[in-house]
Amino acid sequence: MGRLAVNGVSKIYGESDASSSVVALRDVTFEVPDNHFCSILGHSGCGKTTLLNIAAGFERATTGAVMVDGVSIDLPGWRNTMIFQDYALFPWMNVFQNIVFGLEMKEVARKEREDITRHYIGLVGLEAFETKFPHQLSGGMRQRVAIARALAVQPQLLLMDEPFAALDAQNRSFMQDELVRIWQREPKTVLLVTHSIDEAIKLSDCIAVMTSRPGSVKEFVRVDLPRPRDEDDAPYIALKRKLRELIRDDFVSR
Amino acid sequence: MDAEPIDKGAKTSPSRPVDARQRVATMSGLETAPVEKTEPGVVPSFGKWFRQQLLRILLLLPNFILLIVLLAVWQFASKVWIPSIDPYMAVLMPAPTTIAVTAAGMIVSGELFYHLMASLKREAVAFLFAACAIPLGIAMGWWRLAYNQVNPVMEILRPIPPLAWIPLSILWFGIGDEQNEFIIFLGIFFPILINTIVGVKNIDPLLIRAARSLGAPERKLLVRIVFIGALPQIITGVRIGLGVGWMALVAAELVGANSGLGFIINDARSMLRTDTIIVGMLAIGIVGLSIDTAILALGRRLLPWSLAMRK
Repeated sequence: MGRLAVNGVSKIYGESDASSSVVALRDVTFEVPDNHFCSILGHSGCGKTTLLNIAAGFERATTGAVMVDGVSIDLPGWRNTMIFQDYALFPWMNVFQNIVFGLEMKEVARKEREDITRHYIGLVGLEAFETKFPHQLSGGMRQRVAIARALAVQPQLLLMDEPFAALDAQNRSFMQDELVRIWQREPKTVLLVTHSIDEAIKLSDCIAVMTSRPGSVKEFVRVDLPRPRDEDDAPYIALKRKLRELIRDDFVSR
Repeated sequence: MDAEPIDKGAKTSPSRPVDARQRVATMSGLETAPVEKTEPGVVPSFGKWFRQQLLRILLLLPNFILLIVLLAVWQFASKVWIPSIDPYMAVLMPAPTTIAVTAAGMIVSGELFYHLMASLKREAVAFLFAACAIPLGIAMGWWRLAYNQVNPVMEILRPIPPLAWIPLSILWFGIGDEQNEFIIFLGIFFPILINTIVGVKNIDPLLIRAARSLGAPERKLLVRIVFIGALPQIITGVRIGLGVGWMALVAAELVGANSGLGFIINDARSMLRTDTIIVGMLAIGIVGLSIDTAILALGRRLLPWSLAMRK
């Protein structure tokens, strides 16, 4: 469950008729089928984070709506939970407490929520770290906790805001593989924001390439390559070239 | 966006939080003694621990040279020098040995304990009432409306020193516990309130977003995230508040009590018992320091994450 439809979403900051108003998003429309992984690719300032914040319920669209299974998203909540770039783990809770938090908010029965939490701790491979606190973990481990915490509430739509940007190159690549592995085990509808072409290709079923000023979807690209994806395959390279050109056009035109 | 420390020192994770703690402890300037080098997680054998403590004390000894010299000069002045000038004046400056004897007597008779308990009880009662500053501070830090409405009232009341309330409070409550507790309450209340507001406002907004995104309703958000997130700052407020309250306590007891440490020193004045006065003063100082140290230790123990977060 979790068919995502972005319907004509626009976001204007300031009064819509005032000259000082900024159009962050204009008429963004695309659909992501259930349990598909979609990336939003674009330069910084193209409004991709604004779109994600609207999908998370943190901001409201000026016009249009983000719908999950036909229901419009207005508020933040477990149905459309978000994973943050800086993890946003609760520093006073250990790994287990962080992951179980959302289930407590959902008022899942004690036994069940402990089982679910253990399951996700296992899925992200942190069995030995259940009682460790965030400050005792490395960046990659913190991001695993954040992923497990978000998955544990069984969201219909999982949002990720450049989740690996704070990691070093090796860790990032490793965590991308891990994310694919986890996602294949437990498919979810995912909307991920990134400025990395490789990350988008490596992870996604579809990529919404955004251009800036105003932010809009330039092209919606489907990725039909089998996973795991090899960076040296000809189709991969061709797709990468295509995406790079789409993005470069945007750079030249501004 | 503030950057998180990445991976740095993660391989040595068992020792890292401890290091951070020690660093913060020494930086805070609140320690008079060097921070213990033993890791709290590791339980050393008693013999080793004992030797370490002994070594620590030995290393600290040179720091007390001036203190010992001053005590010796004081002893000499009180016992030999001042009596040689005017025997009647000697009573104004009792010797350290005289004070020690008086203190021992007051401890054995239970007098000191009785008055100490009276003072501590007042401080505790006042603190219980002043703790309402915590929910009020959370409300003011969280809801703009609450802040805008309550803040002007608080800003007018806050600069009035608790001692300035003594005359009015005596008329209101008479002389006794209630009046004392009211004065102490005023001393404790405002530091807690202000620190709670600051603590709430300083919580990382990302944590609030994360909690909302995990489905936390407002009420649970306030208890599980906002209150806990502000707790280190609230504890700082409690420390400052109890310190101010302790000072206000003594002043309140000076004028309006028939028990307590403040009462002892004022009562002794009328009988020219300068030794008792100094015993009372020392007791006030030592207890004040002990309260502060205890809360600091409690905070460290309960909130290790907050020390580890500060860099």
